[in-house]
Amino acid sequence: MIRLENVTKSYSEEVIALRDASFEVAKGEFVFLVGPSGSGKSTLLRLINRQERPELGAVWVAGRNIVDMPGNRVPMLRRNIGNVFQDYKLLSNKTVFENVAFALEVIGRPKHVIRQQVPAVIDLVGLAGKEDRFPDQLSGGEQQRVSIARAFVNRPLILVADEPTGNLDPATGEGIMRLLDRINGTGTTVVMATHDQRIVDAMRKRVIQLDRGVIVRDQARGVYQ
Amino acid sequence: MISRLSYIFRETGASMQRNVTLSVAAVITSAVSLLIFGLTLIIQHGFDNLLAQWEGGVEMIVYVNAGAGDEQRLVVEEALSQQVGITIEDWSYCDVTCSLTDADRLFAGDPGTRAQLTADNIPTQYKVVPLDATQVDILRGLRDRYLELPNVYSVQLAEEQLDLISKLQGFVSTYTTGLWIALMIAASLLIWNTIRTAMFARRREIEVMKLVGATDWFIRVPFMLEGLLQGVAGGAVASIAMWFINDRWTAGVESFPVNSGMTALVVIDGYQWQVALILIVFGALIGTIGSGTAASRFLDV
Repeated sequence: MIRLENVTKSYSEEVIALRDASFEVAKGEFVFLVGPSGSGKSTLLRLINRQERPELGAVWVAGRNIVDMPGNRVPMLRRNIGNVFQDYKLLSNKTVFENVAFALEVIGRPKHVIRQQVPAVIDLVGLAGKEDRFPDQLSGGEQQRVSIARAFVNRPLILVADEPTGNLDPATGEGIMRLLDRINGTGTTVVMATHDQRIVDAMRKRVIQLDRGVIVRDQARGVYQ
Repeated sequence: MISRLSYIFRETGASMQRNVTLSVAAVITSAVSLLIFGLTLIIQHGFDNLLAQWEGGVEMIVYVNAGAGDEQRLVVEEALSQQVGITIEDWSYCDVTCSLTDADRLFAGDPGTRAQLTADNIPTQYKVVPLDATQVDILRGLRDRYLELPNVYSVQLAEEQLDLISKLQGFVSTYTTGLWIALMIAASLLIWNTIRTAMFARRREIEVMKLVGATDWFIRVPFMLEGLLQGVAGGAVASIAMWFINDRWTAGVESFPVNSGMTALVVIDGYQWQVALILIVFGALIGTIGSGTAASRFLDV
């Protein structure tokens, strides 16, 4: 599903985010990216959804090298990749329903599809009955569930999550992890960057560890350290 | 398709509401620039009316008394023909119908005087194109000779009217054209800035839209529509203002003396509606150019 071949990405001569990184993620896998701040985790996720392009190497997503993909094809790529962020990136002037529907609306899905899919995914993330609330009327965990619902509503092949539990207390974070695990169970490949040792150790999924842009460990059913 | 359209109109409306002060400023600026553009076109058309009788190189008009018969006019025609190839290149006769049509334009702003001119009393005209229009002394000599011919009512030379009007037309044209071009650039830049501000205000939405796979065009269109609507609104306001000013001017010209030479400097032939359409189209253009460039330039907010 995802393959990086000798990828190097730098932001300046001094700041090299990734050095000669190579790995492969199979369809339906759940992968943790771990490492200290500045180790290249977020850069790696941004390379997967073509927010960044590497100087060297190839990034294969769903069978296509996306490095030289023409700009007008990138939106189609992103429709197959859901994004979850630490700060949720919800639109404060839209309700829960509207935030989730927005992801379908802007890719031109018809109204009847939106009316059918949005309530189902809101129910999936456990927010049924809260469709009309605005983000500031929700807890942090609930906001992250809305963010996950928005990322998953289009049934993407891949879901990338950048520190999704970073702003949440441990109990709420566990709930979010159960949700991501459930989504992974539907066949969606999940790649998640995290600092949360407790979660990584509890989940026992594949762990790719980065240190100053270099992959130093790639372990199946691994732990944080 | 319907859901896309409904999304585009909803987002455009929301953006204009959020940006109401800048939107109003953009509409006013484009309206002022388009109004000056429209008035330039109207004034030019007025000057064209004023100079209509001198079109085609005509430098002298010999007016013949109303009711002069063919034999009486023959005297004038023989006198003109004698000079063809010597001082005159060509001449043509403007009969009663032609003279009444000229009067329609010349007295457009003075319907009272125009109403007094009928097929029975309007002087007909011989329009004379000289070989060399710069030989003013020769033309003056011809005028003096033709004035002595029987049934000649008067002889008018272009130099008496044309030079002043041409200079005035050139002056007005140069300065108003410079002004409306500068103001249109200002209007376009203001719309550009309005759209940039709107995009900055909605940068989070744009970021989310890009991440969930919206195409650049889908993101751009509501912003471009916003600029287009601002331009069209500016064009509509300018058209209304132009109509009002033209109407007041036309009413004012009626009170000018008949010999003021200004009675033709009005536009009442429907040309103002063409100009109104042009203003709305130009408004749409400056709005689309301003917003289109901003929407492309600042998509990566």
